[in-house]
Amino acid sequence: MTEKITFTVDGKELEGKQGQLLIEACEDSGVHIPRFCWHKRLDPVGMCRMCLVEIETPRGKALVPSCTTEVTEELVVETESETVKKAQEGVLEFLLINHPLDCPICDKAGECPLQDQTMAYGPGESRFIEEKRHFEKPIPVSDIVLLDRERCILCARCTRFSDEISGDPLIEFIQRGNKTQVNTFPDEPFKSYFSGNTVQICPVGALTATSYRFKARPWDLKKVSSTCNCCSLGCSVELNVSQNKMLRILGEDNEFTNQGWLSDKGRYNFEYLHSENRLTSIKSKEDNIFKDISFVEATEKLKSKIEELKNPDIKFIVGPNSTNEEYFVINKFANLMNRNEFLSKDKSNVYFSDDHVFNGYFGEGYENAAFEDLDNSDAIVVWSEDIKDNIPVLFLRLKKAVKNGVKLVVLGHTNTSLESLADLYLGEEVISNNFELKTNLGNIKEFQNIIENKKVTAIIGKSTPIQQKKSLDMLVDHLQKHSQAKFLNCFTKANTFGALQQIDQIKGLNEFCNEYLESNSNIIFTIGANPVNGSYFSSNIQDILKKADYVVSLDIFINETTELADLILPTTSYGEKEGTMTNMEMRVLKQNKILPDPGSVLSEWEYLIMVAKSLGKEINFDNAYEINKALCAELGNENLVPSFDNLNKPSNLFGIISNKEIDINITDLEQKDLSMLMVKRLYGDSSTQINSPSISMLGSERFIELNSNTLEKYGVKSKFANLTQNQNSIFVNIKLNNHLPDDIVVVPINRRGFENLDPTKDFDIKEAKNMKELSVN
Amino acid sequence: MSWEKDRIAKAKEIIEMYPQKRSALGPLLYLALDKDGYISNESIVEISSLIGITEVQVQSVASFYSMYKQEPTGKYLLSVCKSISCEISNSSDVITKVKEFTNLSNNETDEEGLFTYESVECIGACGGAPAIQINYETVEGLTPEKAVDLCKWLKEEQPKVIVADELQLKFGGQKSFDWAIEDNSGSSSPVPGFQTYEMQEDIQ
Repeated sequence: MTEKITFTVDGKELEGKQGQLLIEACEDSGVHIPRFCWHKRLDPVGMCRMCLVEIETPRGKALVPSCTTEVTEELVVETESETVKKAQEGVLEFLLINHPLDCPICDKAGECPLQDQTMAYGPGESRFIEEKRHFEKPIPVSDIVLLDRERCILCARCTRFSDEISGDPLIEFIQRGNKTQVNTFPDEPFKSYFSGNTVQICPVGALTATSYRFKARPWDLKKVSSTCNCCSLGCSVELNVSQNKMLRILGEDNEFTNQGWLSDKGRYNFEYLHSENRLTSIKSKEDNIFKDISFVEATEKLKSKIEELKNPDIKFIVGPNSTNEEYFVINKFANLMNRNEFLSKDKSNVYFSDDHVFNGYFGEGYENAAFEDLDNSDAIVVWSEDIKDNIPVLFLRLKKAVKNGVKLVVLGHTNTSLESLADLYLGEEVISNNFELKTNLGNIKEFQNIIENKKVTAIIGKSTPIQQKKSLDMLVDHLQKHSQAKFLNCFTKANTFGALQQIDQIKGLNEFCNEYLESNSNIIFTIGANPVNGSYFSSNIQDILKKADYVVSLDIFINETTELADLILPTTSYGEKEGTMTNMEMRVLKQNKILPDPGSVLSEWEYLIMVAKSLGKEINFDNAYEINKALCAELGNENLVPSFDNLNKPSNLFGIISNKEIDINITDLEQKDLSMLMVKRLYGDSSTQINSPSISMLGSERFIELNSNTLEKYGVKSKFANLTQNQNSIFVNIKLNNHLPDDIVVVPINRRGFENLDPTKDFDIKEAKNMKELSVN
Repeated sequence: MSWEKDRIAKAKEIIEMYPQKRSALGPLLYLALDKDGYISNESIVEISSLIGITEVQVQSVASFYSMYKQEPTGKYLLSVCKSISCEISNSSDVITKVKEFTNLSNNETDEEGLFTYESVECIGACGGAPAIQINYETVEGLTPEKAVDLCKWLKEEQPKVIVADELQLKFGGQKSFDWAIEDNSGSSSPVPGFQTYEMQEDIQ
């Protein structure tokens, strides 16, 4: 594939690679050939014929589509000859036969490839006087995507995406000839975690998203590149803002991370920024009612509280959505508050709010992988939380790797969505319901055949908080011994790795609960964390926060945690702050600011610095740039560190890998028998999502998954049931999933109603009648 | 489950014949056609679960080919050729007369569910033009009058099985050549080629 080839385009000699498509080789050398259907990340189809070029053949010149022709040595190509021009005019005249000229009301106008190319290559007028075809416009193909079939030019980008890339082909061409249209099957909507990508790659205004429809014109948009913080993959995005409102997020093609794609959560989870529920003023709780106060009053309150309590124990619970710069300041602040600048190893007072984080596989003895290793290795081994639900775009990378021939081994129970891709799925025969390895991996012949002496990339993380590290150790050790293994630590939430890198000796919520002493006087800071919702320790932490002497929350919404606080400091969010984030391959990427701070809110670090100052301590930074500089100063070679200056260079837009040592101190939870398996779904009840109207409904369905044996055990025959535990009773839909082992019931932890369930206690499932069924006459 | 046990067993038998399950889609759509006289949504759901592709992918193929009927078809499917050889030999009159007799326009089915009319492209009987197909059994060398006689006869007799040779003797004229088809069992439904699977038993 790497062999160089020279060929001639319009009289100029260009270089290409063996096996490369002509359109791509030309693009790489700066010769643009117009196209609609061809997309770099999709297989070529030659649907639209817009990329016709003239090549010299033994029988004279011939018109060929450059998206299905490979470059060959000494190929002579004309892209601007009279013949090509005539062909392009003809193709465009045909494409416009049925395309409505409703550009003035079309969202795509202004950034529309059809519009642009008609201007650049079109004939100027049409000879077609007949009636254009008509369809109902638009029809919803899913909750978030609308389809206007009149505008569609049948390029098959969306259908190919759903088939090749995301693997949920729920849209297809229906009918033939003049009647051809893209559509879904009746009552089978285009329910995909990745449906928004089809909107982005549609070359006309046929696919539009509900959140952006009729909101702005492309030429009014202010744009900035940034990095998504919905999961720890770190997708490169472009934020589009008009009149100080975030209106759209597009995926940018970062070869190393998302390769152009985004999950729908990453793409549409932004409306909360402008929600009226957003906190914009400092609130203090007096007599159980929140009152607005000024910042000076707030610091006074905090100061007097600290004095009043006399050497209180101060603890910090941090969430995953801060920037590295903020974690850096949090770390400094926490050290100051600990009254001991030379923190001893067991004295850390910062706790990370994700139950799945554990000590992991970092540093000496373990080689950490990058995402590109997925494509370059012989095999991928996955044992972690559900990848499709927690790091959706990593699922696309895995699918791509498998398509290119990399073998995939999945170790069971949580990643059933990978089963269809996997060459080997190790389920209940190998893994117990408590996620212990039942057999020696060396005895599994198929497994050995796939990994023995091969290049292996392993994605390793805890499937459930209760899983013991030693079970993962067994797999990791085995891979170390039998293969050339590289490891990706599968911590799924946003900037988890940034927190791990910047905060010394960070601990987990288990340690928080254990180390909290009621006899002390306690002040607790929660920073962008909501541990009262969706954690294994939720009820425990709720009690602690209620009992603690003073709770300070830095957050953007009133949520389950902040409503227990005594003082709430509203903070800036995504798009409102500049900083860096570290993804799961330790790649540091830049997040940029494009929105003004709403109201009088400040960034987390600004609050902390000012609080420190009021307490007579000094942390001296004026802006994120200075923090970043201080942060990078610790890392050595100025040219290689992930500083703002370096990351803003065009050569570093794909991010810089940071090797800062990670020092975590999280111990396993006590081993208990699981009765149900709590998993996090992509869509849930996070305060950002329920305040984003376009996607808030996607996380409303309550369902449980189990296999047919387990269902039989409970004697449930319909698709509806009541899940009961103590006084809790939840009406749920039942989804059969026969990849699950017997006696495991999968419950979404981030859906409303499930938060009070205890995964280690008994429960019952009783058949229920669906209200819909009952109301049938 | 909308399909009967026998039909599912038959489908599984067909799927076995292919190295890839999804390759069996074409013949399975004939099974669906045989069930309802058209490709119903229930059948699409059934097929999609049998061969492991999504419903819309099945629908995409089913709606692409015009011989997979999208709407219920009558007992007798009248396909009159409108291509060039037949057109030269006055097929337009045949078309007009058949349409008049049945009172149907293109791709329509009458209320009793007896006739479905369609004008089609070349049916490969140019030598015996103009030609018509009843449930895909070809009759050649028609005249407009004979075509009407044929329709009348179908309406009165309502034969269970249509056999091309019988109709040719009764209503046909010049034949292009002897087709020399060994199997002259005819066709029992408007499902093309379906009896080659099993329906011969029904016919006899």
